[in-house]
Amino acid sequence: MFTLPIMIEQAVNGLVLGSMYALVATGLTLIWGTMKMLNFAHGEFYMLGGFGTYFGLMILGLPPWLVVPIAVFLIFIIAFILEKSIISPLMGKPGWDISTVVATLGAGIFLQNFAFKFWGGDFLNVPYMFDGVLRIWGMAFAWHRLYILALTLVVIITFWQIVKRTRFGLALRATAQDNEAAILMGIPFRRIYTITFGLSASLAALAGSALAPIFSVNPWMGMVPLIKALIVVILGGLGSFTGAILGGFILGLCESFSVLFLSSGWKDLISFSLLIIILVIKPSGLFGAKEW
Amino acid sequence: MLEVKDLQIYYGDAQALWDISIRVRPKEICTLVGANGAGKTTLLKAICGLVPVAAGKISLLGKDVKAVPANERVSLGLSMVPEGRKIFTGMTVEENLKIGAYVNKVWNRKEEFLGKNYDLFPRLKERRNQLGGTLSGGERQMLAIARALMSQPDLLFLDEPSLGLSPKFVDHVMEIVRSINDQGVTILLVEQNINIALGVAQRGYVLESGRIVMHDDAGALLANPHIKEAYLGM
Repeated sequence: MFTLPIMIEQAVNGLVLGSMYALVATGLTLIWGTMKMLNFAHGEFYMLGGFGTYFGLMILGLPPWLVVPIAVFLIFIIAFILEKSIISPLMGKPGWDISTVVATLGAGIFLQNFAFKFWGGDFLNVPYMFDGVLRIWGMAFAWHRLYILALTLVVIITFWQIVKRTRFGLALRATAQDNEAAILMGIPFRRIYTITFGLSASLAALAGSALAPIFSVNPWMGMVPLIKALIVVILGGLGSFTGAILGGFILGLCESFSVLFLSSGWKDLISFSLLIIILVIKPSGLFGAKEW
Repeated sequence: MLEVKDLQIYYGDAQALWDISIRVRPKEICTLVGANGAGKTTLLKAICGLVPVAAGKISLLGKDVKAVPANERVSLGLSMVPEGRKIFTGMTVEENLKIGAYVNKVWNRKEEFLGKNYDLFPRLKERRNQLGGTLSGGERQMLAIARALMSQPDLLFLDEPSLGLSPKFVDHVMEIVRSINDQGVTILLVEQNINIALGVAQRGYVLESGRIVMHDDAGALLANPHIKEAYLGM
């Protein structure tokens, strides 16, 4: 049973799952690091990414290379408007750390029910965007899974370059490290918040879009990724990008290998146990909260 | 250059500053001195837009800025070296400087201003790729000043630049302040250390428990019996 090909296949599956966790968790980290708030509507952007992909591919019949960027962009706009209308007015007001939690929870419930009204409660299936299977050394890898891995890598590297090299990235890091000092540099932190929120939602939407063919699409599909991403964020160290990305892959691999020993129903037990073990032996997470 | 009139500031329900009126003239070094807790930093923050103003007027380079958000005041030519430096510890020295040139009017010329700053602070050039958090206190102060200069301000605020530095280094910082002023930058220097401040400034304001109690030429203030007794221990 534990032959090398099976192990490798399982590793690829774990990395695919891990890409989803890494993308969703990176979005959470981005918001936590910059705005110091938790976004409980984050899973719903993942869900909208799934539905957008379903809608574009199945209802409108558009090709994937058109559907994915348009869906992600539309969700960026939705998140942008959401931040401006319900988060921004609360920021800096007394009790904002709690009021933004309530506001994002509310937005999440609204988006779930919006999707329910609009698309219904059925589990909708989306076909693989890339058909076929890569056969190599007696192993089989669905091209779509390899696409998810490649996409995640490209997105994470691009994202890192933006944070490290661009003017926006500098302003983002400055705002995250010391908001008041950033204002003194002339950085419009409100605008940075809004764009950050939009970018974070786009990462979740991209994950939802890429994984729609693997898990089916439904209004509540965002719950599990949100909870898993919270585990990843704590596992990797709150506020750490490296932690969010590596933590995502670690969790994905753990879950995927656990299937070899236990039935897949035990998967969540594995991730929560992992979380508890990390919290006991290293409460600051694997990578601490390093500044970026 | 800067005119503040009848400013009233509250921290919550408690009034922190009363009837503040100060004026900073073009090209001068003006100082605001007073004991710890007198309200000096609050006043600077209010002028920068970081602390809300209950009543009064702030005009910067002839423009009423009461309704201008803090970040936009930087584009108008105001720059501040905040208390405690507030450098970005997780960024390199060079990134710290680049972010100082964030505003539109200077961003495209940041490499040029970076070079100018490295000439003024060779130490920072040596440490350009080091993280801000690894610098010593004196180097951090240098970096904070250099960073504030990147936006090419007309008016520069310095909040307690001598704090935590060795006497020798304080002299060095004051030399730098003088040379920045020589290049045409107007300076408002906030200090607890009255001797140092009045040594470099032309004029000074004295802030006590939230009110301006005195203002005069630096020399006259140094000779004033109240200042001598209350601040210089003579």
